[in-house]
Amino acid sequence: MAKDRLAGVLERYEAVIGLEIHTELTSLNSKMFCGCPVAFGGEPNTRVCPVCLGMPGALPVPNEAAVEATVLAGLALDCEIAPFSQFHRKQYFYPDMPKDYQISQYDLPFCGLGHLDIEVDGEGAKQRVDLDGGPYATRIGVTRIHLEEDTGKMVHVGGSEGRIAGADHSLVDFNRAGTPLMELVSEPDIRTPEEARRFAQKLRLIMLNLGVSDCSMEEGSMRVDGNVSIRLRGETELGTKTEIKNMNSFKALHDALAFEIVRQADVLDEGGRIVQETRHWDVTAKRTSALRSKEEAHDYRYFPEPDMVPFEFSAGWIDAIRARLPELPDARRERFMRDFGLSSADARTLSEDVEFAAFFEEAVALAGTPLAKPIANWMLGDFSAYLNAGTVALSDAKVTPAMLAELVQVIDAGTISGKQAKQVFTEMAETGDAPGAIIEIRGMKQVSDTGAIEAAVERVIIANPDEVASYRAGKTTLIGWFVGQVMREMRGQGNPSLVNEILVKKLG
Amino acid sequence: MSQKTDLAGLSARAIREGIAGKRFSAGDVVEATYAHIDVHEPGIHAFNELTPDLARAAAAHIDAKVAAGEELPPLAGVPAALKDNMNLVGTHTTCSSRILSDFKSPYDCTAVRRLLDAGALPIGKCNMDEFAFGSSTENSAFGVTHNPWDLSRVPGGSSGGSAAAVAARMVTVSLGSDTGGSIRQPGALTGTVAMKPTYGRVSRYGIVAFASSLDQIGPFSRSVEDAALVLNAISGHDDTDATSVREPVPDFTATLGDGVKGLRVGLVRDMLDLEGCAAEVREATEMSVRTLESLGAQVGEIDLPMSQHGLAAYYIIGPAEASSNLARFDGIRYGHRVSDPSDVVDLYMRSRAEGFGPETIRRIMLGTYALSAGYYDAYYGTAQKTRTLITREFDAAFEQFDVLVTPTSPTVAFKIGEKAEDPLSMYLSDVFTIPLNLAGLPGVSIPCAKSESTGLPIGVQIIGKHFDEATMLRVAAALEGALDLDMRPPAA
Ligand SMILES: [Zn+2]
Repeated sequence: MAKDRLAGVLERYEAVIGLEIHTELTSLNSKMFCGCPVAFGGEPNTRVCPVCLGMPGALPVPNEAAVEATVLAGLALDCEIAPFSQFHRKQYFYPDMPKDYQISQYDLPFCGLGHLDIEVDGEGAKQRVDLDGGPYATRIGVTRIHLEEDTGKMVHVGGSEGRIAGADHSLVDFNRAGTPLMELVSEPDIRTPEEARRFAQKLRLIMLNLGVSDCSMEEGSMRVDGNVSIRLRGETELGTKTEIKNMNSFKALHDALAFEIVRQADVLDEGGRIVQETRHWDVTAKRTSALRSKEEAHDYRYFPEPDMVPFEFSAGWIDAIRARLPELPDARRERFMRDFGLSSADARTLSEDVEFAAFFEEAVALAGTPLAKPIANWMLGDFSAYLNAGTVALSDAKVTPAMLAELVQVIDAGTISGKQAKQVFTEMAETGDAPGAIIEIRGMKQVSDTGAIEAAVERVIIANPDEVASYRAGKTTLIGWFVGQVMREMRGQGNPSLVNEILVKKLG
Repeated sequence: MSQKTDLAGLSARAIREGIAGKRFSAGDVVEATYAHIDVHEPGIHAFNELTPDLARAAAAHIDAKVAAGEELPPLAGVPAALKDNMNLVGTHTTCSSRILSDFKSPYDCTAVRRLLDAGALPIGKCNMDEFAFGSSTENSAFGVTHNPWDLSRVPGGSSGGSAAAVAARMVTVSLGSDTGGSIRQPGALTGTVAMKPTYGRVSRYGIVAFASSLDQIGPFSRSVEDAALVLNAISGHDDTDATSVREPVPDFTATLGDGVKGLRVGLVRDMLDLEGCAAEVREATEMSVRTLESLGAQVGEIDLPMSQHGLAAYYIIGPAEASSNLARFDGIRYGHRVSDPSDVVDLYMRSRAEGFGPETIRRIMLGTYALSAGYYDAYYGTAQKTRTLITREFDAAFEQFDVLVTPTSPTVAFKIGEKAEDPLSMYLSDVFTIPLNLAGLPGVSIPCAKSESTGLPIGVQIIGKHFDEATMLRVAAALEGALDLDMRPPAA
């Protein structure tokens, strides 16, 4: 509903969207300020210690690997790295926060201004009614990236669906408390729900590429909140914004923002005014509803964390972190286009996911650069379809780069036909057997030996004098029938183009 | 042993040597200690909790070493008391607060662990002002501690129990914590040696925080040498405290006998002239400096005008940090909780209102206000700038001098109840000690005289450069040796 109306609304209104994206640094060995392991789930309150339980007298010691991961993320997004930074305490009472303050960063975050370039194509590109509807690229500013500690989790008992309403008591699990949490704040440069989705998706790919997080929106290791306001096209003043929470998937992010833009337009169209408030996306009802308004907002009483000394990063230290930056999707894509002659679209799809790209490159290395294109076609075609159909993770797939390389090599050598190759791929994906073994067992080897083909053609010609006469009299459409007979004679193993060529010669 | 109670007066070194020489056992020391406590504790109330089981186990460990002919650690068999804000498994850690009255230590404080690893015997946990907020130990939820010199007077605070226990010879040494003078001021009022090390010298891990940027653990003792021995044991970097430093730790006893010849000693003149500083205190301070001069020190005078703003800055920064550090006492996971909360906000509000005493609530209110939006710059921001200026002023002073000298407390011990209703006059008790916490400097108070009118002890404060406790203690030892005071109080 919102989607259908979004186009109409965006004709009249411009949306201004900024995102706040929290990423748990799940790849680290320990929590932000103690030695407890970082993991998802588990028996409640089993990964805790005096520090992350906020016991009297326990002190936080910053996890240097988390600081480095945040700076690495900042460098990946071209952020300015602060030469002087520190932690602050953000203070409010809540039972999932054992100290009743969160160690976070305030006016001196590790990373300042940066940016992320995104591309929008397909249907989503049409949301930019001010553009021509075709694919476009745009740059989204990054305001800052800072580091903080995650809170514990509340479980409300006695109410419906674990919500607090109607619950008669609550339990707290501190396993997550103190997990390193990186918060990125974007500039309000995003104009459509699709751009927001692309931004979040690309950020996720980069974080996966950097190896700092598993970025699972389902498990909450990547959480996206959005600030959205609208204004009449041509207007330069910003409208009143609302903050949208609980968008637990990229689709939810898109749909919630689309709903909210339409909702705000309806309010304004009816002569109402937007209330600055936090709204909750209800994925079932497909609508946002008010959670709390600005009037109830806290004074967090930020002040510098006195249990730690400030950070002063030297240029040398920053350079050492920069040296650890892996090749990122955009650079990889350029290289795939340059080195392998791939199209821009193919190169993008192959380069986005670091594991997928590595698989591709390994297969190309084994098969040789000239076979890069067929490898790309297999990966983007049958292989992707297979992974998607069974929702198989690449790391769990039975197909290896060596197997894919072998497959394209035997096709290139004419050992099997394209049709046979599809069968081989299917079997290889299911069993994990190498193509050579499958071809051997199935007796699929394509016969390209002209002597054998000629002999089979001769046998067919001798056995079917009437059809030969008809053909020679001008009924050339019979060629297909002859091909079928020869293939049957050869139990399907003849090289189809050779069979055709020899038949035409012998019949003509 | 016939002379059991005499063991109470021994120095740490004498106890270790006595045990090593098999003149008495660590077990004898424990029994003598508790016998002495039985006599004096009822009138003084230095302890919140006695830990004879822990002490006897530690003594047995020492005696086993003796039996096995092993080398004894430096504080072997030395009876030690701990301020009740330091965690030690097997003890409660109450901070003399109702909100933590049943709280059992879940882990060990690093400094305490190091003290016990050096062979000290954990005798008990000492009374204090609630969460270390106070200068008299009257703000305890468990009753006031009395000064062994005059039971109608306060022992100072907030580490009043730790001070009184050492003064009354119930233990040989104790640990206190000093945020604005909470070791040195009770040291002066009880006639004990009381020192605050440089900020970062001793780990804060495991001490219930008052103001994180000011707190430091330090020893009480009856001699400078014993203070140095304890400092040796508890100093050094700790991976669990991000503000503890990697400075090398010298043997602080090694230079105690080196004298003061040639050392530059600065008397802080404008502090001496401060209104409210008793004449007898001023005279005792001047006498101390003259004594050092006669021992060969080069004596001069200096003014530290910025430091006079220390009290004001301290009463912003201290409460601001405290209001944050004490937020965790919310009735959710530990500590006092109301029995019938209607919801979580009610649980927070009534648990805290019932659990905290009036001075604690006052500090939380002050600190919360100082950090509030719209007031932060005027209060907290200005206080931090003042702090920087005070630090610079000391840095400049230490270009001219190796140590500085001031009184420790403007007055001798006051009567119980005398200042209880007047927080501002109580706050003035720490006017000479607070600037050191703001600047992170080490300071030691040693007894330098007894009041002619009351017979009560008067302390002098010797201030060292950052991480130069060795020179500071050397000056203290020289003065201690020259004055040779008998500081045994009537109730000991
Ligand atoms: Zn932990």
